[in-house]
Amino acid sequence: MPETWSGFSYIVTNLARFIRPNEVTFSGVNSSMPMLACMLAKKSYDFYFTYINVAGGVDPKPTSVPLSSSDPVLAAGSTAIFANEDFYDLCTRGRMDLCFLGAAQIDGAGQTNVSAIGDWHNPKVRLPGGGGGAVMLPTARRSCTWRTEHSPRVLVDRLDFVTASGGMHGVVTPIAVFIKREGRLTLQSWHPEKSLDEVIARTGFAIDGTDASPTPGPTDEERAALQALDPDGEFERDADVSLG
Amino acid sequence: MQPQPGSRDAPGDKIKSLAELASMIPDGSSVALGGSFLHRGPFALVRELIRQGRRDLELIKQSPGYDIDILCRAGALRRTRAGIVAMEGNFGLARWYRKAVEEKEIELEEHACASLTAGLRAAAFGVPFQPCGGLHGSALPELNGWKWGEDPYGSGEKVCLIPPITPDFTVIHANAVSELGDVRVLGTFHWDRIMSRAARRVLVIAEKLLPIEEFRKQPELTLVPHFMVEAVSVVPGGAWPGSCWPLYEIDYPAVRAYVDERDRDLSRHLEAAVEREARADA
Repeated sequence: MPETWSGFSYIVTNLARFIRPNEVTFSGVNSSMPMLACMLAKKSYDFYFTYINVAGGVDPKPTSVPLSSSDPVLAAGSTAIFANEDFYDLCTRGRMDLCFLGAAQIDGAGQTNVSAIGDWHNPKVRLPGGGGGAVMLPTARRSCTWRTEHSPRVLVDRLDFVTASGGMHGVVTPIAVFIKREGRLTLQSWHPEKSLDEVIARTGFAIDGTDASPTPGPTDEERAALQALDPDGEFERDADVSLG
Repeated sequence: MQPQPGSRDAPGDKIKSLAELASMIPDGSSVALGGSFLHRGPFALVRELIRQGRRDLELIKQSPGYDIDILCRAGALRRTRAGIVAMEGNFGLARWYRKAVEEKEIELEEHACASLTAGLRAAAFGVPFQPCGGLHGSALPELNGWKWGEDPYGSGEKVCLIPPITPDFTVIHANAVSELGDVRVLGTFHWDRIMSRAARRVLVIAEKLLPIEEFRKQPELTLVPHFMVEAVSVVPGGAWPGSCWPLYEIDYPAVRAYVDERDRDLSRHLEAAVEREARADA
C-alpha cells in the first residue's frame, strides 16, 4: 500500500470518514466502495455505529468481503433481517442518518443523474436508473456519493436528467472531497499530490475553494483496515481508479 | 367449507415440472420476479420461458439484472417497470438490457425502487394509489405522469401518489416449499413478500421439498402461505448463476462467460444451466 493515497484508498477512506458515532448508516447495491467504507469504519474507528445494508444485515459479521455489495454474506451473523421495504421505510420516516448512494452525474447543487446520458427518450447511454436515490436522497438525514472519475463530464454544471434531488451531504472523487454548504457543493479538501487549480479545472460546476486544504493522509488504522479488507488488491483492480 | 380435491385437511399437491410451471405464463404476461440482482432470482424459470419461446413479456422488479438482460438478449421482453438495472458483482451495466432500451426494442417505465414498491403496495392493500415518501425534486414523477396530493389532514405536505402495480404473476425462488405450496425463504426476502401479495397469481421455484410438518413446527419462517400459491416446482440450484443463501454463492465464472460471449445466441449458456439435467430426467 502506498505511503499516501491511491485513488481507490482515497475514495474508500474518505467515504468512511463521513460515518459518525451512534448513527444508522446504510450501504446499497452496486456499491462496493461504500461497503468497504462501512467495513473499514467498523475495523478502524473507535466508536459504535449501526451498520445496515441492502442484504438485510444489521451489524453483521460477514465471513468474507463479497464482490457483490448486495451479497447475502453481508447478512451473515446479523442480529436481524432488515429487508428492503424496512430500510426504505426507515429512510422515508426520517430515521436514516447516512445513506451512500451511487451517481453517474452530479451537479453543483448535489443533485444526481443515474438515468441516462443524453435525452432520456433517446439516450446515448442508458444507465441503471432510479434505484434508491430518488426516494432516499430527499429523505435521508445525510447522503454521500462517490465517483471513480473526476472530470467535467461527471461533475457537471447541468444534469442530463434529474433523477434525485435533496439532501446530498458529501461527494468523494479520487482527488477531492466536497461538502454541501448553503445549497452548493463546496470543496472541503483535495488529494495532497494534486493542486487546487487542477481540481477546479476538472470540475464542471463552479466551486469555491477558499476554505479547502489538502486532505490529511490515511491513519495507520485506516491503512491497516483497508489492507485487511482487500489483501490481494482485487477490489482496487476492479475499481480501476485513476488520479487522472 | 367447500369440498376440496385431496384430503379433508388440504388441497391436492401443487408440484409441477419446471416446463409445466413456465407454460402457465402466456405470451404478453406481466411477471414480477423475486430476489435482487444476482441473488435468489427464479432464474431457472426465466431460462425455461426463453426455451419455450415466450414473447412480449413485461418484467416488474426493483433491481433486475441477469434476468432482464437474458430476456432482452432472447427477444422475449416488450416492457419493464424497474428501479435499478445492472449485472452487479463486478460486471457493470447489463449490456443487452441497455441495448434494448437504447434501440427501443423494449419500453421502460423507470422507477425508484421505493416507488415500484409503493405501486405493489397499492395492489396488495386493495387501494387505488399508494403515497410514496421522497421523490421531491426528481424528474421521474413527471416523466411517469405520477400525481402529487396534498395531505388532506392539513399538514401542507405534498406526497407523490403511485398507481397500483398488479403483476399477472409473481415468481419467487425459495429455499423450500411444502407440497401444498407453503414458501420458506432464508436470509433476506428482498421484495418477495410484497410481490406475492400484489400479484394475481404466484408461482414458486424451490431448492427442495419439505414435509408439511416442518412448516407446522415453525410457521413464522413461512413467507407465503400455501393458499396464495398456485403451483411450485422443485429445481435444486435453480437460482444459478446467482446465489441462494446459505446453499451456494454466485458462480462468477459462469456469469463472466455469459457476459463475455458477445453474440445474441444463448445456446451455450442454456446448455450449461443446472436445470438441464432435471429437464432431461423429466
